[in-house]
Amino acid sequence: MKIFLPLFLAAAILGAAPAAQAGRSCEARKTTPQAVERAMTLAEKTLASLNASGEKVVLLARAGQDLSKYGVRYSHLGLAYQLPDGQGGMTWRVVHKLNSCGTSDSAVYRQGLGDFFLDDLWRFEAAWVAPSPEAQAQLLALLQDPARLTAMHHKPYSIVSYAWGRKYQQSNQWAIETMAAAAEPGVATRDQAQAWLQFKGYEPTTLKLGPLTRLGGRMTAANVAFDDHPNDKRFSDRIETVTVDSVFAWLQRARMTDGRPMMVVRL
Amino acid sequence: MKNRLSAYLAAVCITVAGSAAFNAQAQSEASALSAMSALPVASVVVGASAVAGSVVAVPVVLSTAGTVLVVKAVESTARGTLYVLERASDGARASIEVVGRGAAGVSMVVGSSVVVSVVGAGVVLSAAGEAIAFIPNALGRALLHNERLTQ
Repeated sequence: MKIFLPLFLAAAILGAAPAAQAGRSCEARKTTPQAVERAMTLAEKTLASLNASGEKVVLLARAGQDLSKYGVRYSHLGLAYQLPDGQGGMTWRVVHKLNSCGTSDSAVYRQGLGDFFLDDLWRFEAAWVAPSPEAQAQLLALLQDPARLTAMHHKPYSIVSYAWGRKYQQSNQWAIETMAAAAEPGVATRDQAQAWLQFKGYEPTTLKLGPLTRLGGRMTAANVAFDDHPNDKRFSDRIETVTVDSVFAWLQRARMTDGRPMMVVRL
Repeated sequence: MKNRLSAYLAAVCITVAGSAAFNAQAQSEASALSAMSALPVASVVVGASAVAGSVVAVPVVLSTAGTVLVVKAVESTARGTLYVLERASDGARASIEVVGRGAAGVSMVVGSSVVVSVVGAGVVLSAAGEAIAFIPNALGRALLHNERLTQ
């Protein structure tokens, strides 16, 4: 028992333990009408907030999972931009990377705000940060160029991928590597994107994950891997990965938002 | 206003509604989509044309929160499945078409009850506590889009 309990807890910490979620999560899951109502209302409020802001491109976050034990509030980041809605108004689309049904693969999607939040959220709350106008213009140019938009995408996926590794790429990592490609025309590879991020002072979150936690996660889910982390960090339980909170803090710290604060949208 | 059976049955025969399903993605991981349980987007079928909704308002029978409807007919169409719904209180009817595999087929059989709930972006239909279809209005359509950009 002593052995199995930590393994179970470890997997639970990673959000990967319940058998119902591990590796076969493409199965249709029951969605309550209340969840749909809340998600669509959050999308509506976020749309109003974005349209009223005058911004054109923002980094948009949702809270799909309780990560409070790691000091992390938001779980997932996308690049959102404004465009005509075809009905005389303006709407927004989010481009983001999604793990494919608990597998070790991923793909980049363009979705509406409704789709973005219809995701079994842990907390019905959104947050967004607008980069400087110059950075928004650079991002908008990239978002409208299909080839550049997906150039940083790397299909192999791990939810805890090493922030400075190239073996896997999680969703938030794709977002900031794509930001790097937008900001610096010379960035054509993930190596170069990560070099730019380091130069700009980005610092990933360090998760304290012990050996049993790592083993549990690896054993129970195809989308959890640790073999991309350097041995010295990995075996001292330091897992450095890209989180929304670390990205938002970095944007403010590096003065990349021209003083714009993080905006929070709640129901 | 009462939406009578004959008017809707006439409409039912001619529908070519078009709308895409969107995905209610059940996420279980940090920054990951791990499940895609499709919550179908439904189109209202009114008059001689199919309606992905842009010009035709959602019928009253489908836009009053708390309304209980009974599934009176389920038909396969070229694009998906058409459901004829009847308001239990007065027999008023409306029809919707769901593109693709249909609204959680098990829940939407003839005789089952469907509950209407209303949000700013449209109407949620549910059966036995499970959301089975979403009928977007103009705002809802602006909020829905799903496009995969990479393989």
